Amino acid sequence: MNVQGIVDKTTRGTPRVLVFACRWCALVGADAVGRGRADLPASFRVIPVECAAMVEPDSVLRALASGADGVAVMGCHLGGCRFNDANHVALKRMEALGDLLDAVGIGRRRLLLSFGTAHEGRQFAEVLGAFFRELEPLPSLAAWRKTLLNQPSFR
Amino acid sequence: MTSTLKTIRGKAENLLAGGLADGVLCLGRDRFNVVQPRLFHKAEEVGSLEIEPKWNLAKLAMQTLRSAEKSFRLTVVCRGCDERALLELVKRNQIDASRMTTLSYTCGREQAEACLCPRPYPENPAAGEKIEGVDPFGDPRFASLLAGDDQERMARWTGLLSRCLKCYGCRNACPICVCTPCKLEDDLWVERSAVPAEMIPYHLIRAFHLSDTCVACGACQDACPVGIPLLALQLVMRRSLREKYGYEAGLEADRKSPLLMDFEHASPAGFALPAWTVSSEAPHER
Repeated sequence: MNVQGIVDKTTRGTPRVLVFACRWCALVGADAVGRGRADLPASFRVIPVECAAMVEPDSVLRALASGADGVAVMGCHLGGCRFNDANHVALKRMEALGDLLDAVGIGRRRLLLSFGTAHEGRQFAEVLGAFFRELEPLPSLAAWRKTLLNQPSFR
Repeated sequence: MTSTLKTIRGKAENLLAGGLADGVLCLGRDRFNVVQPRLFHKAEEVGSLEIEPKWNLAKLAMQTLRSAEKSFRLTVVCRGCDERALLELVKRNQIDASRMTTLSYTCGREQAEACLCPRPYPENPAAGEKIEGVDPFGDPRFASLLAGDDQERMARWTGLLSRCLKCYGCRNACPICVCTPCKLEDDLWVERSAVPAEMIPYHLIRAFHLSDTCVACGACQDACPVGIPLLALQLVMRRSLREKYGYEAGLEADRKSPLLMDFEHASPAGFALPAWTVSSEAPHER
């Protein structure tokens, strides 16, 4: 799976968001809400994954480095995971990752973790809409870092 | 000669002379008066054994044991941080604990302050007195690295990390960074030609991989030729695990990392979903 390609080539508009959706719950919900013609932001792309726990924090970081302004990881409710406790693990990892993102100033606001079931398509739309509203006032991550790196004091 | 060094030399000599260890891994002074890691095989060589400066030997111990015969028993002379690193390596099946013993000693006040070490002593020191550690989060040098809002922190860390020469010293010096193949050498994750290393993939992937294993020995920071305060990121991760799960890498031999386990087995009672996750606990649609 080439995250770079997906972010660069297919996502138009800003902010750009990459969604990792578990194929048992979140993805089914996302499909349903798409079929239902819900009002969704345009600039996100979904990567189906087997389970939210297989999204390594590395993938989130890779996506942020490849031009995504925000990354959403979506899985089943705690207790409703097809793989027993796997989404507990996803939650803990992402929470630890959030602390790291906070420390360097990227901010955990750019990382969304959400749990829902397959029939909660409307929730997918709401959660993603709220995420976009939160990201819109923030600067584009790639452009921001470029400006910082080009400052004379850093050269 | 300090009394700690004297004790360590004496004990190492006894171990080798008594045949309790086939080798002692420690720093040694060679005939050019250079101090570097050395594997002592004979009791008479022990006179050149040294314990200063700080030099983490955990990774070397692992490599020594891997290349030695199965019957080889190694004693590692180590500091508190090194002992914790060895414990983490044992937990991850990189070292066979039955073939290794440690001869550990405590650090002095000066070293503890240089490392911002909260625990400058091993569990059961063979030499030296335990002294109280330093709280890194109370130190102004450290606090200034994490102060300010997102904007300031981003500017600060972008600046600091843009010094990186991508020498991979932080990875190589780290006693616990042992994966092969390494993601930092894979073009899919880190663009290999990019210098300075890209901050997000290179530095943050490295920091995150060590989040639940890092024993805060500071070897990465000591190895960095351009002086990036890498330990600060690790300390943040360590604090996060300590506060949420009461877990500290390198202390409990029989406890797995909480990042690998569910809430029921590794969380304080009554743990709720963190406020920043978004979840629909709202009434379901009909």
